[in-house]
Amino acid sequence: MNALEPSTSVPQPLLKVEAVSKSFGGIQALYNVSFEVTSGQIYAVIGPNGAGKTTLFNIITGIYTPEEGGIFYDRQGIRGKKVYQLVRRGIARTFQNVELFDSMTVLENVLVGQHVRTRCGFWGAICHWPWVKKEEKEAHRRAMELLQFVGLEGVAQNRSSDLPFGWQRFLEIARALAAEPRLLLLDEPASGLNAVETEQLATLLQQIRERGVTLLLVEHDMSLTMSISDRILVLNQGKKLAEGTPREIQADEAVIDAYLGRE
Amino acid sequence: MKYALFSLFIAVTGWWVSNPYYLQLLTFIGIYTILALGLNMLMGYAGQISLGHAAFYGLGAYTSAVVTVHWNYSPWLGLLLALVLTAVVAFLIALPMLKLTGYYLGMGTLGFGMIFYVLFREWRTLTGGASGLVGIPSLSLGSLTLDTGNGYFYLVWGTVVVCFVICERIVNSRVGRALRAIHDSERAAAAMGVDTSRLKVWVFVLSAVFAALAGFLYAHLVTFISPDSFDFIVSIRIVTMVVIGGMASIWGSLLGASLLTFLPDWLHVFSDYEMLVYGLILMVVMIFLPQGFARGMLDLYERSRAKYKRPTTSPQG
Repeated sequence: MNALEPSTSVPQPLLKVEAVSKSFGGIQALYNVSFEVTSGQIYAVIGPNGAGKTTLFNIITGIYTPEEGGIFYDRQGIRGKKVYQLVRRGIARTFQNVELFDSMTVLENVLVGQHVRTRCGFWGAICHWPWVKKEEKEAHRRAMELLQFVGLEGVAQNRSSDLPFGWQRFLEIARALAAEPRLLLLDEPASGLNAVETEQLATLLQQIRERGVTLLLVEHDMSLTMSISDRILVLNQGKKLAEGTPREIQADEAVIDAYLGRE
Repeated sequence: MKYALFSLFIAVTGWWVSNPYYLQLLTFIGIYTILALGLNMLMGYAGQISLGHAAFYGLGAYTSAVVTVHWNYSPWLGLLLALVLTAVVAFLIALPMLKLTGYYLGMGTLGFGMIFYVLFREWRTLTGGASGLVGIPSLSLGSLTLDTGNGYFYLVWGTVVVCFVICERIVNSRVGRALRAIHDSERAAAAMGVDTSRLKVWVFVLSAVFAALAGFLYAHLVTFISPDSFDFIVSIRIVTMVVIGGMASIWGSLLGASLLTFLPDWLHVFSDYEMLVYGLILMVVMIFLPQGFARGMLDLYERSRAKYKRPTTSPQG
């Protein structure tokens, strides 16, 4: 089923989370969590509300610094790095509740997504050098390409807040892809989507993976998670409950007790 | 193209208006437009308020005044020093200040505005205290003096056009989009790799430099400055111009500056109740035209035209 068959070389972990702990005012949000995401995988994190999924996301993307443990991206420690530094290195994300730039057009949203892949500053903008014009043109071209990829090229000039919610989700993914990430974190990408849109999302995520982007997602939609993920990490009350392929997870006694429920 | 038209309009106005009083009023509008434009970059685009912008306006004016009156140097050196000093001061203020958000930023900027006002008033040896500095020379370019006729008018409005072009280029660039991104969602902007705190500091500096430029033009136009021209009310007036003209609207700055310069002139009766009138205008605009006058009118126009075109393609299809 998977597009990625095991290759002859040993796959390198793109992201390695090592014994990470984080607490907020005495509440242990994450405790001693470790896992590895291999390059080219679709890796899902699931767990009930309050399991620490969002905290984990915020740690990987640099919003929080963990008290203990290490995070390695591309074999380099990234603990304590700022959000924008991590984007530059190739970690992009989307938000649980969709955070688009509402006053901007669909196209402009994707243009902001390319912030780290373009370099025009105040002086460049004021002087309007030829290279700035060229960069701008190229950025527009790439933005349109990405909009085409997610199927929103027809609404490029509409204001992003005017789009239906489902389309906003796709736009947010296109915007994140504009940063040319190697690792894309998706925070509940299916929430708020209808069945058709969820199907489209599954296809889109596969296509993104085929582009060579590794995906890490937090998700509530079980059927989506089980059908597209290569590996799944189950969190419960800040601790790692289980980790494995979808098949292993579905058969895991502890997971069934805590989360999936018995028939 | 639109700047060619705008320049033509300025040229015709300068040639046509001969009444020195109106000419000076129009020159003031130009100066206020530069002020409003600068603040609009900070407030309208980046979404960071400043209730102390008169401080930079005053810093620009006083620096050039001190350089020319006390030290007898050329006003153009005064301009250079005014811009550089203001940029440095703004940078130092912005570093701690822009860590604040919302009301706190408002209070903080209000605070430095007041500090500068006191500085202008109390540093008597340099600023002349409450009675101000007199005898600021007018400007001249080579053999061309700009104090008579419409020379100064053209100087100011020429500067306005340059400022417009600068702002428009910034707004339509990568930096401008990043600024608007910060306004819309700072969290998402950071997630796009925008170094938000750095960018906020730089736009603050830019906006302060515009204010200093306006202060320089003001000082050499009226040739006399006193602290009252740079007090709290002036800061509020600049904010009002931006809000009335329209946040995040370059041409709105011109509109706001024009309205707030003409209105007090036409409504002499209000002179004692200036703050009251500003307050009322602000309230009415915020309630009925939250996007500002210019944008509000445009929205009305667009709404009356063709309805929003609903897209017909669907994602993934």
